[in-house]
Amino acid sequence: MVFLSLSCWIRSRGPDRYWKVQEVLKHARHFRGRRNRCYSLAVRAVRRAFVYATKSRRIKKRNMRTLWITRIAAASREHGMKYPALMHNLTKSSVQLNRHVISDLAITEPRTFLSLANLARARQQEGFRAALGDGKEPPGVFSRVVFLQ
Amino acid sequence: MSSFSRSAQQWATFARSWFVIDARMQPPGKIASMCSIRLQGKHKPIYHAISDCGDHVVVINTKEIAFSGNKWEQKVYSSHTGYPGGFKQVTAAQLHHKDPKAIMKLAVYGMLPKNLQRRTMMQRLHIFADDELPEDIQANLTEELPQPRKIPRKLSEYTQEEIDAFPRLWTPPQDYKMK
Repeated sequence: MVFLSLSCWIRSRGPDRYWKVQEVLKHARHFRGRRNRCYSLAVRAVRRAFVYATKSRRIKKRNMRTLWITRIAAASREHGMKYPALMHNLTKSSVQLNRHVISDLAITEPRTFLSLANLARARQQEGFRAALGDGKEPPGVFSRVVFLQ
Repeated sequence: MSSFSRSAQQWATFARSWFVIDARMQPPGKIASMCSIRLQGKHKPIYHAISDCGDHVVVINTKEIAFSGNKWEQKVYSSHTGYPGGFKQVTAAQLHHKDPKAIMKLAVYGMLPKNLQRRTMMQRLHIFADDELPEDIQANLTEELPQPRKIPRKLSEYTQEEIDAFPRLWTPPQDYKMK
């Protein structure tokens, strides 16, 4: 059995400064150039790295959502729908799946995704029919003819 | 542009589709955006920026692309050689006259993401000025993409009956002199 903490319990094992430096260099060992071995360079780089890491924990969520949206857009284009139309009509149909789940479905269960796309398309056509009424223009009004998509 | 290096071609040989698109009378920007989506692999649900899942795109007939408006005269392609006084500016018409593939290539190159994968993606773009393809590329083609723009018919392609039946806004009087 490897017992790593034993060496930390031993008293008087070198100056405190050495261990303080090691605490910082521990996080800088994979850095490039002298920053992975010179304390004064490493401490700045490590602080910068930690700031980036903190910020990136938020940015990662944003980036993942962008990736899911790209994937759903690609999958919905395969079925002849655009991403905004798909998501809008799924919301209108009270499909409570988030983008993470829908993009997973698009990759692993393409037929399930196809049925979602069909549902969205049906809802879209329903919305067009409701908006257009009987398809005739009101009397006395000239308008462009609206084609159903 | 056929590939000089095979590094971009050999990976995932059977997983890559080869799209062909005819650029005859098409706006270069629209063709380029279709190409860049497929070169990046953004048309696949498994897309990831670093997973290198793009396809090959073959563009033919780039000699006959069609810019709209006054772009042939007024669109300017600038470059700098790096030497003093080396700033070169040519219009789209001049560039197209010099190299019929250049406009298409620059348009796609500008639409791809500016990262290290860009050159690899460009190696998967094959541009041909006319519609004659080499045998090895012809054998790979899997799918033809529809043209984004419907090619307008010329007046000479209409029959006389169609011209007569075309609705007119204004009928010129008998003594009207056509310019």
